This record gives sequence, C-alpha cells and structure tokens, in this order.
Amino acid sequence: MPSTQSPPLLGGAIDPTAVRPPIDDAIIERVEPSRVHDRLAQLKAEGYTMLLDAGAADYPQRAPRFDVVYHLLKMPLRKSSVTEVGRPQRYRLLCGVPEERAILPTATDLWKSADWAEREIFDLFGITFEGHPDLRRIQMPNDWEGYPLRKDYPLRGPARERSPRPAFALKTNVNAGTPPSGRTLEALQAQIAKARNA
Amino acid sequence: MSLSATPLTPEVVSKDGNAMVLSMGPQHPSTHGVLQIMLEIEGENIVKAEPEIGYLHTGIEKNCEAQFWSTAQTNVERMDYLAPSNNAFCYALAVEKLLGITSDIPERAQLIRVLNAELTRIASHCVWLGTGGIDLGALSVFFYTFDLRENILDLQESSGGARMHPNYIRVGGVNGDLPDGYAERLDALIEKFPGRMRDLRALLQANPILQDRMIDVGIMTPEDAVQWNVTGPSLRASGVAYDVRKAYPYSGYETYDFDVPTREEGDSYARFLVRLDEMEESMRIVEQVRDRLRKTPGPVMIDDTKVAPPPKETIALSMEALIHHFKYMTEGFRVPPGDVYQATESPRGELAYYIVSDGGNRPYRVRTRPPSMYNLQSLKGMAPGNLIADLVVMIGSLDPVFGEVDR
Repeated sequence: MPSTQSPPLLGGAIDPTAVRPPIDDAIIERVEPSRVHDRLAQLKAEGYTMLLDAGAADYPQRAPRFDVVYHLLKMPLRKSSVTEVGRPQRYRLLCGVPEERAILPTATDLWKSADWAEREIFDLFGITFEGHPDLRRIQMPNDWEGYPLRKDYPLRGPARERSPRPAFALKTNVNAGTPPSGRTLEALQAQIAKARNA
Repeated sequence: MSLSATPLTPEVVSKDGNAMVLSMGPQHPSTHGVLQIMLEIEGENIVKAEPEIGYLHTGIEKNCEAQFWSTAQTNVERMDYLAPSNNAFCYALAVEKLLGITSDIPERAQLIRVLNAELTRIASHCVWLGTGGIDLGALSVFFYTFDLRENILDLQESSGGARMHPNYIRVGGVNGDLPDGYAERLDALIEKFPGRMRDLRALLQANPILQDRMIDVGIMTPEDAVQWNVTGPSLRASGVAYDVRKAYPYSGYETYDFDVPTREEGDSYARFLVRLDEMEESMRIVEQVRDRLRKTPGPVMIDDTKVAPPPKETIALSMEALIHHFKYMTEGFRVPPGDVYQATESPRGELAYYIVSDGGNRPYRVRTRPPSMYNLQSLKGMAPGNLIADLVVMIGSLDPVFGEVDR
C-alpha cells in the first residue's frame, strides 16, 4: 500500500487531452464557453439525443483551468431492435472554463438528465451553470466550504490537513540507532566487551 | 446531500389546503440504501418527487487520484458493491486502452473476465430480485435468490480470495488462474440455475398480487428514457435495445451467442421481466465461456513486467523479477498521457470511466459515468401522478446502488 502522502511521479503533460491523437471511437471537439450551448443544441438537432454524461477535470497549470466534458450518444427515440440501434455514434465535447469566470450556460433546457450532472460539477469543482433551475450542492453538505475535486483541495480535507499530526507519527520522534530496549550504544558495547572477557 | 431548496414554509406545506411536503428516508427500509426523497403530495398522489442523494458520498474519485493505477482499482470496486467485478473490468479496460495493450491481453484472461462479469450480473440481479420481492411483501423470494447468489459468491471467493470485493480483474489480465475444483462447482451452478429460475418465475411472474402492484406503474416511454439518460435493463424495458456488449463489444463479446431481452411496455413489470430474462442470457454466456475455458489453456496475465507484477515463483529465482516486483509495488507503473472514455455494460446500465492520465504513476482524473445515478434521476419524471405506495415499486424497479450514486 503506497503512502498517500508521498508526491506522485508527475508526468509532464499540462494538458493531457491535447498531447495524444484520440484513441476512442468518439468524435472529439473543443469549443469556447460562449459557444457551448449553441453547439449542444445543434448536436441535439443532428440526432445526438442522449447526454450520456457531463463531467469535469481540473488542470491548474493550464490557461483555461477546467475542462467540462460532455459525452453525447446518437440514440433512436423510438422502440428499436439491436440492429436498429447498431453502433450509435459517440461525441465528446470538451469546453475549457477559465478560473476567473467559471460560468457555463446550463444544458438542462436541452436534456433533463443534465440536472444532476451539472449540480455535481458545481458541487465538486465550483463551476456555476447559468439558468440551472436548482443549482445547489448534491454530494457534499450544503454548508461545505471548498470544492473537493479541485487539485488544490487536500485529500484529507482542509480541517484535518491543518491539524498537527500526532507526535508518534513524526519521523523526528524516532531516534535512529537507539536499541529498542532504550540502552545506549555505549552500554551495549560495554556489555559485549564484558561478555568477551568473561 | 442537502435539504430541499424550498424551505418548508406554511405556503409550501399547504398550497391550496391539500398539498403537503413529506420527507421519505434517508432511513427507510425500501429505499435500498440511504436515499431521501422530498415528496410533494396531495392526499396519496405524488405531485413532485425530488431525490436527495449524497449521504453515502465517500470521495472515491478523489481517492483514486492519490493511488497508483493498480491500487485505484481496489477503490473503484467499492462503488457498485453489488457488482464489483464489473467496475474492475471497466477500469482495467480503460487503463489498458491508455497503455495501448488492449490486443495483448491473453485469451484466457479475457474469458475469465467475461465469466466473472456475467456471474456478477446474475448475483447482482439476485439481490435486486430478493430485495424487490421484500418491497412487495414477497419475503420468501429473498431466500431463494440469496441462496443462488451465495453459490456465485463462493465461486468468487475461490478465484479472487474474497466474497464481496475480489479484486480479481486487474490491469493486464486477472490475478491468477482459476483454482482446482472451480470447474466442477461452476458445472454444479449451471446445472442448478434453470430449476431455480423456474421456481422464481413460478413464484413471481404470474403472481396476481405482483402483477397488480407492478403493471402500469412508473411507465417510461422510449423518448422519456433517452431524455432522462436511462440505460441498461430499464432502457431496454422501454423498447430500446441498447446494450454496450452488442453496440461496442469488448473482450470478445461479439463472439458469444446471446440475445438482448427487451419489452415494449416500459412499466415496472417490464423492467422486472427484462432482468429475469437477462439472468438467463447471462447464464447462456457463462455456459459458452465454460466450454471455451476447457479448450483455452495459457497465461492469464500479460507478459509485461512493467504493467503486471512478475509471477511470485520467479521472484526467489530471478534478480530481474525481484527488481520489477519492487519497482511495481513501490512506484507502480506509468501510463502515457491522454484521456479515454471506456464504456461497459454493468448490471445497471452503461458504466463508463473517463480517465485522464498526465503520464505519471497515479490516475490524474477518474470520472465515473454512474448508471445508477442517472437511472435514479429519472424518478423525478416518473413518480408524479403515482401513489406513494407505488414509489417503493418504482425505486425497486430502477435498481439503484447507492455506493455508485454517491461515490
């Protein structure tokens, strides 16, 4: 079990979504926050009837700090067999959101299912969705401070991170080289010499 | 987790003298976990239902970011605790896609993965059927289904070492081959299964009380189901035959002969029947896997000591193996940067991971697409117009697991 306290071996990628050709079968597109709602509406009109998921990721080193990722699916809106459904096309829409203006238009007017997804992004990343009918925390308690899935949010939470670690867990408390019985090195050597002479 | 947005002022509590707000849960026997539902009711009729989730939030996605790629797998298994192998399966596939080793996974490992995924699907549906029966007052079903589930958990224990969270499916393959005696026990299960399903169908399917409670309750049209982002058996009960195993086959699902059960009605009874049929289809796949396993010997883990730990027996003999083992356990392995979306069919629907790697030895971001959460959300559209007593049936028919809803 690795210690969660040790720093990760950081990869160099500041924006991992940009360094590699896509390995998925989805169509991938990146849009500006101002265009995201129009684009989603356009895609919905093109037949991407299902908003499979909306999630976010935090890249603190990058210029627009957050990415909100929409996964769309081209799904028939009627009863259909396996062959009719076939292999529905996937679409991934990424939207960079700057930290200074972490606001996006809501997609709840297009898909009802966007409701909880957007609430979760708001709750865990602090990105506001304009026009959302009921934007409040969903996973964390209402009076929670901070946004837990941001990279600068400590793993154990701010309260526990502030509190001092118990004395027995500090490295400096363990005097390396002291035998467990509490005897000093000199006492030990004296005992060995005594045993040899005897 | 939060209380309703609208405070319970007298105006809300009695709008026109009749409506009132009722909080159901979070400690309610038939919510299958810690689910609170703020109900606006008029008499016994539901006007509005707002599920409040988050009581079981454990920050699994955040925790994954602090773990190695290999140890984060232990965390994701805890999400859908009724189908842990399906979570591990999806996570392993996603990481393998990022590593670019999808085609290098040994054939036998893929068979064992499919075997575990399908057995877990049956076990998960057993829990749903048993607890769903209890919701409706059919107490004895629980014992029949849990007996069947127990056989599957025994198999899991013998192969993975643990009953509930075996952590058997790993990145690169599975952890060790199937033990001696596994095949015989699997044969016994396959032999027992049809009779047990006959019993269950006889007990439930034609039961007039159950039909009265379920038919025409919580109807979802295909448009509603797609709009509310419902997947899995609940979507297929509305007539849309979307199954990730058929649409985007993984681990050789395209080579198995199985059907995707669908129903047209879209009510709770249809969802119930689809799941029953699905258990039998899963068993069909299990039988095919059993036959192939006999003919397919070979390794069950990828032969790449950067991704998988070297076999235990080589560690005492080979210096390189010892070094690899040490590096693997203390530093983990690195994954090339990039992002990937990997979808699989879990017992509850499309379970997917959107995983980002920055090139380091820990996942940068593990986003789950939780099927339970989106299925449960559809309750908001489904419940209004129904009776409070039927709400229990509807929750049961959606089969949410709160470890996954709240994560």
